[in-house]
Amino acid sequence: MITLDSKTLLDNIRIHLFPTTKFKTVLVSVFINQVLERELAAQTALLPAVLERGTREYPSFRDLKIRLEELFGAELGADVVKKGERHILSFSLEVANNKFAPGENLLKQGLTLLKNLISDPFLENGVFKRDYVRQEKEQLAKEIRGLVNDKVSYAIERCVQEMCPNERYGVFKYGSVDDLDIISEESLYSYYQSLLRENPIDVFVVGEIDADETFSLLEDTFNFYREKTTSKLPPVEVYNTPVEVRYREEALPINQGKLTLGYRTNTSYQDDDYFSLLLYNGILGAFPHSKLFQNVREKASLAYYAFSRLEKHKGVQLIGSGIEIENYQQALEIIQEQVELIKQGNISSEEMENTKRGLINQYNVLGDSPYSLVNFFLDGVIGGREEGVDYFINKIEGIKKDDVVEASNKVFLDTIYFLHSRDGEGGEQS
Amino acid sequence: MQWQIKENETLKEKVYFMPIEGGPELYVLPKKEYNKKYAIFSTRFGSIDNTFRVAGNGGEKITLPDGVAHFLEHKLFDDEKGNVFDRFAEYGASPNAFTSFTLTTYLFSCTDFFDENFKLLLEFVQSPYFTEESVSKEQGIIQQEINMYQDNPDWRVFFNLLAALFKDHPVRNDIAGTSESISMITKDILYKCYHTFYHPGNMAIFVIGNVEPSNIYEQVTESLSNRTFPPFENMGRVYPREKAAVNEKKVVQELAVSQPIFNMGFKDTYSFLEGRELLARELATELLLEMIFGRSEQLFTHLYEEGLIDERFDAGYTAETSYGYTLMGGETNDPEKLHQELLSGIRNFKKEGLRKESFERHKRKMRGEFLRSFNSLEFIANNYLAYRFRKIEFFDILDVLEKITLDDLQKRLFEHLDEDLSAVSIINPFKQ
Repeated sequence: MITLDSKTLLDNIRIHLFPTTKFKTVLVSVFINQVLERELAAQTALLPAVLERGTREYPSFRDLKIRLEELFGAELGADVVKKGERHILSFSLEVANNKFAPGENLLKQGLTLLKNLISDPFLENGVFKRDYVRQEKEQLAKEIRGLVNDKVSYAIERCVQEMCPNERYGVFKYGSVDDLDIISEESLYSYYQSLLRENPIDVFVVGEIDADETFSLLEDTFNFYREKTTSKLPPVEVYNTPVEVRYREEALPINQGKLTLGYRTNTSYQDDDYFSLLLYNGILGAFPHSKLFQNVREKASLAYYAFSRLEKHKGVQLIGSGIEIENYQQALEIIQEQVELIKQGNISSEEMENTKRGLINQYNVLGDSPYSLVNFFLDGVIGGREEGVDYFINKIEGIKKDDVVEASNKVFLDTIYFLHSRDGEGGEQS
Repeated sequence: MQWQIKENETLKEKVYFMPIEGGPELYVLPKKEYNKKYAIFSTRFGSIDNTFRVAGNGGEKITLPDGVAHFLEHKLFDDEKGNVFDRFAEYGASPNAFTSFTLTTYLFSCTDFFDENFKLLLEFVQSPYFTEESVSKEQGIIQQEINMYQDNPDWRVFFNLLAALFKDHPVRNDIAGTSESISMITKDILYKCYHTFYHPGNMAIFVIGNVEPSNIYEQVTESLSNRTFPPFENMGRVYPREKAAVNEKKVVQELAVSQPIFNMGFKDTYSFLEGRELLARELATELLLEMIFGRSEQLFTHLYEEGLIDERFDAGYTAETSYGYTLMGGETNDPEKLHQELLSGIRNFKKEGLRKESFERHKRKMRGEFLRSFNSLEFIANNYLAYRFRKIEFFDILDVLEKITLDDLQKRLFEHLDEDLSAVSIINPFKQ
């Protein structure tokens, strides 16, 4: 396992370095942490697209891409990530190791571009360029409307929205089309400046690097003004016992019904029994040997996919399956029966052991991809866990069946969302 | 038996190849620093192999219902005791499989118990167990897989385009088949295809991670020693004679989408190329597409600022021995206008020629991207065999790329990006 080499405060920016010779590239990831909020979501989501349009030195998207191609196809980009009730503005740079490009310092040249992207955007009259903002608002509106195009993600997202209408977690990661109208190039720019000044920033570097040299390069990259203390983000709402189950349905002209169940686990990533919940979710639906796959798919032949997944920061569990519309009742019964079985302690020792091994395998391979390594430590930052992979593996090994049953009995069904077809007719080819 | 070692200085990778008598081909790439160990077992049997002659039956020609290769992939996970997922789970491995147009691959990744998992992979792929009951059960599952894809606009726009480009070649058919075709699949058909296409002589194994080549070789030979095979005779694959012309110029379907989805394709000439020649064609065409439609080119900026494309617009080329095509597109608010703009973009390049500066830059980028993808064990293993099945040595990519000239691209521009050999596929939102 690759371990953290150093961690230092630099104008309230936390730097995490992972020197390793394993990879052919160096990855630099920057995360600006923001609260997920209805009023802010569209603005936060718009920022990466506008920033990617150009910098002072490379004023257009095209100029930037040409420069990146000269650097052996280096990757540079910005994005937004939703983790629980956090909305994270992310930047990343990936360059080939210097040894693959003799005579060049690709990391140094790449960091100059990253610096330009973050803190030296292309401006017009002291704010973002009007055309860029207008075009990106249109693109983002299309992206938001385009959620429906992928029915699997659409069904999951719609279930979350119905489940959390009055919680931050119910906000879509791209915000809503209505909120785009009021954004101007001035308001967006000043919002971005406040993020750079006040919000928590974490930087991760993975690859064949010299810690001292990289640290001084990063000092130069992040030399913009920061407040002495970073803004404190509100805690995530996790604990919630639903009074009754919400039933929601929606019709679209489609072939396959999508059944989605949203549960409150009442366990957060920080809680001691998080690992029991992880086991619970694994036994229920995270693997091909799990109860959902074995019973909904293998035994009843009702579905091609049937899974459960945890949103660890929010403590929400989602079950999803694509089924024949008329099989709704049967599929729902089988799914709920699997949940009940675990709550009653009906877990075989094979299920316990196999799920532990499957989970441990997932943690063991984290360090084999620079992106999953960074994501694991970002989860730690967001969810307030500083421990490394070995701690996780140790904890998982120690979980007993009773722990799983205990964690499962804090899990409550909140919302059943069914996406189906109005008249049972699908898309016909013309 | 001696290992043949292929080493690449630029990639700093070394692959061990063992030519086992009677097959399968065995490749091992040790990566000491990785925790993950990844193994794949592939056979040259894909969705396009639906008509063939077997030597044993006096050259009888067999035509399969669509979707057999994929169906077989699902069913091979069964044995007398149930399915093998549970046994991989005992050793903490993550098993999977996939079927493409030209091959079927079984795989697992793990960190511990590699020997046990690898043995299981060799064992289950070489032990077919099909019953009427399990076949009929699988029909329900695959029916749902087909339904899922029927609702997936990106999948539909792609297969509609292939059906527009190709009139007879089986690449036009969905890999999973149709409700009708899968209802015709029986256990006898599965056994027949298994014995034809899962002969070790038709297969290959690739293992990557912190592993010892000698240990892998011992396990493979031990697993083969328990079995007997008739000598491998290549089945005669029969592909219909596909005409140069496209089948239809345009195909339109309505689905529940927020805005239209547009794909344009160019059908390649029927070439039967393989090896370095096929690779050179693939790389030259990819470079050409980058130079015309890439994100760093004027056309992309123009289309983006006009709101005709989003940043996911993409163009790519697929080169197989019996077919080839270029495909480009994405979501758009105006498919007709986008179509015209793309064609006129191509015409401009034909008139003005390709620029040297842009050529060198895209080549440099392609080199870097290739290198970067070597961070992923799955990428290396999956591609190595997929290229190997087209008689291409995967590590040759950098070398062949270096030798490609601007003239090669200029030639491909006129020969391949020919409006007469193009078709479009559009998914429109349902009319309210």
